[in-house]
Amino acid sequence: MSYINRLKNSKDLVTPGTSACQGCGGELILRRVIQLAGENTIVCIPPGCMAGAGAVGWSFDSGLKVPVHITLLTNTASFLSGLSQMYKRKGRDDVNLVAVAGDGATADCGFQSLSGAAERGEKMLYVCYDNEGYMNTGFQRSSTTSKGSRTSTTPLGSVISGKEQNPKYLPLIMAMHNVEYCATASPSHMNDMVKKIEKGLEASKRGFAYLHVFSPCPTGWAYPENQAIQIARKAVQSNAFPLWEMQEGKFTLNLENKNPLPISDFVKGIGKYKDLTSEDIEEFQNLVNSRYQFIKGLSEIS
Amino acid sequence: MDRRHITPKGDKGLYILDTAAWRTVRPVMDKEKCIECGICLIYCPVNSIVADGEKKYKITYDQCKGCGICAVECPKGAIDMVSESDARKENR
Amino acid sequence: MGKILEKRMTLTGSNAAAVGASLCRPDLIAAYPITPQSEVVERLADMVNDGKLNSNLVQVESEHSAMSVVQGATAGGGRTFTATSAQGLALMFEPYMRMSTLRLPMVMAIASREMTSPETIWCGHQDAITVRDAGWIQMYCENNQEILDMMIQAYRLAEDRDVLLPVNVCYDGFYLSHMVEGVNVPTQEQVDAFLPVPKIDHAVLDPENPFALDPMTPGSLLMKYRKSHLEAMRIALEKIDEVDSEFGKHFGRSYGGAIEEYRCEDAETVLVTMGAMSGTGKDAVDLAREKGIKAGLIRIRFFRPFPKKKIKDALKGKKAFAVVDRNVSFGWNCGAMFVETLAAVSDSAENYSCFPVIGGLGGADISLKHLSDCISRLEELKDESGRHATLWLED
Repeated sequence: MSYINRLKNSKDLVTPGTSACQGCGGELILRRVIQLAGENTIVCIPPGCMAGAGAVGWSFDSGLKVPVHITLLTNTASFLSGLSQMYKRKGRDDVNLVAVAGDGATADCGFQSLSGAAERGEKMLYVCYDNEGYMNTGFQRSSTTSKGSRTSTTPLGSVISGKEQNPKYLPLIMAMHNVEYCATASPSHMNDMVKKIEKGLEASKRGFAYLHVFSPCPTGWAYPENQAIQIARKAVQSNAFPLWEMQEGKFTLNLENKNPLPISDFVKGIGKYKDLTSEDIEEFQNLVNSRYQFIKGLSEIS
Repeated sequence: MDRRHITPKGDKGLYILDTAAWRTVRPVMDKEKCIECGICLIYCPVNSIVADGEKKYKITYDQCKGCGICAVECPKGAIDMVSESDARKENR
Repeated sequence: MGKILEKRMTLTGSNAAAVGASLCRPDLIAAYPITPQSEVVERLADMVNDGKLNSNLVQVESEHSAMSVVQGATAGGGRTFTATSAQGLALMFEPYMRMSTLRLPMVMAIASREMTSPETIWCGHQDAITVRDAGWIQMYCENNQEILDMMIQAYRLAEDRDVLLPVNVCYDGFYLSHMVEGVNVPTQEQVDAFLPVPKIDHAVLDPENPFALDPMTPGSLLMKYRKSHLEAMRIALEKIDEVDSEFGKHFGRSYGGAIEEYRCEDAETVLVTMGAMSGTGKDAVDLAREKGIKAGLIRIRFFRPFPKKKIKDALKGKKAFAVVDRNVSFGWNCGAMFVETLAAVSDSAENYSCFPVIGGLGGADISLKHLSDCISRLEELKDESGRHATLWLED
């Protein structure tokens, strides 16, 4: 079935009215993941944009049509581990156990519990929507924020301008945990993203599945609210966000750009990059190139 | 209703925000230009575009926030963003 | 009871905790080591890997995850267990407080250990005392038999539909955790008859009955949840006695409920103790009695909920009391148990002569001489009402 039909025919299980920003990448990702997971699903969402937008409920109401729990920022993967173990024990392996977490909860605060759950091979699908910062609390930097980005804790000051460090490359770190399935995805390449969500759900029946999804943020990154897909597409086309997957130790590069878009074109029009100097852009380009070559190499030798 | 307030649970209903009230512009489809490809549907973050039948895509306005992603992504430029206040007056 | 005979075994305190927990048929156990508790999870691992215990044993990567994993499993309807001490308890504080405020029942053993700094691994009550207001039920054991028995009582208490609160069973690090004592171990059949199959169904995440577990909550509503939690603590005080009495009928052993009174009926002076030191305290009372001193001892078994009425009643008519704290309450020149005992007798405090005692911190011994000296001091001061200087049990 084509991915468009797949999406057309699957029920939307998120409340129709969330307070996510206009044109939010995270809201798009949340809806796609849950509509593909279906009704036989339990979802854990730590504090962050999606929780703040209303997905976890308010007062006596819920924000999803499936069971949902707002875990702590630190423990989504370990809470879900306990739930997963219990469902295995009850003989109900058919139930999907899904986490939808931002990069703050995944790469920083909750990294330890994520690493532990992945190493133990706990059965779950963990989706990280990476908007490169703690956007819900006012766009502070995280360890996945790209270098030079303006965030509220790495402002473009007269002495220090933007984030001073390169990000850690989380998807590859997760792939090194011997997980059942690990992939990167972008909402711009929806066909690929749908396939990976379904692969992830299927792999979660056998072990730990991890999806790292590029999530553009109009408010935090400062770009017009209708540009999310354009920016996500450029991220993939410039190799700033390469699309790959790993299964049983085998890496596959899903999209090889014959003529990648220069990074200088990718950063244009994104407010958080506005003060990047030409040296900064060159450094960014070099990082993107070497990282892409590394993944390409992995796909060739594994 | 006497709730015993033991474990906090949201089990009464769904919390739905009136996001239609956010709009200053709204997307309007030109069905003559539309080729019914469904790209607008797959990219709408709010799931405001639905398939009315096998391939009849239409925009619903109950929750649409007016972000304009559909208009930018439409391969045929068949969606325009028009002023919300005008649209309400004209009942489009 | 009839022909079912308990087994007599020699067990360390931690081993007794493991055996007691295993008899309760937990669905899931989270295992992380910390001195002096590590033997608990090791013995449980032996049982699971030898097929003697049908529990999911999860080897977590920190205590924070230990509490989170059991939280997820309990939210899936399971009966769960874990154990920790001091630094581990501190690390898991975030999900620890959530366990009680989500009203999820479970039992966690704490091998009582002093909080760092100074750097230490040895006995002290500071760990559980510091988190006394995190909403858990907390009790302290005197000996290894009590540790084993209280695991069983604790599940019955925690899962009671009018309580639904997690329970800490604390036992002194090294003094009980590593000490071998003879313990009567009930049979699985005996425990099954006393402890029902878990039916934790008041808040289970299940696609067949979807809801949001813990939505964002406005303040006016949050207050109602807190009020209900405080009420559950109040009800727990009654249930503690009921469960103990039921336990007595099933197993032939009971402990007197929230407090234990030792030779208090005609006592003029009273030592108030908690934990393993109580055994030494009872010996000190006996020695004093031989000399004609009318001494008695109150052992506080449950620190949370604090059994204020029972303590007030037990101290009625007595002249003097000393509270021996194996912890400090920073900001007060005494330990936490003294502050709360004084609060329990607040409307008649001027009638008593009392003083706080602090000792046994960081693994230091609370000796027979220490407690005999306390009794002597009580005897000297018994007719001088008021609060007297803090006595530190130093060598």
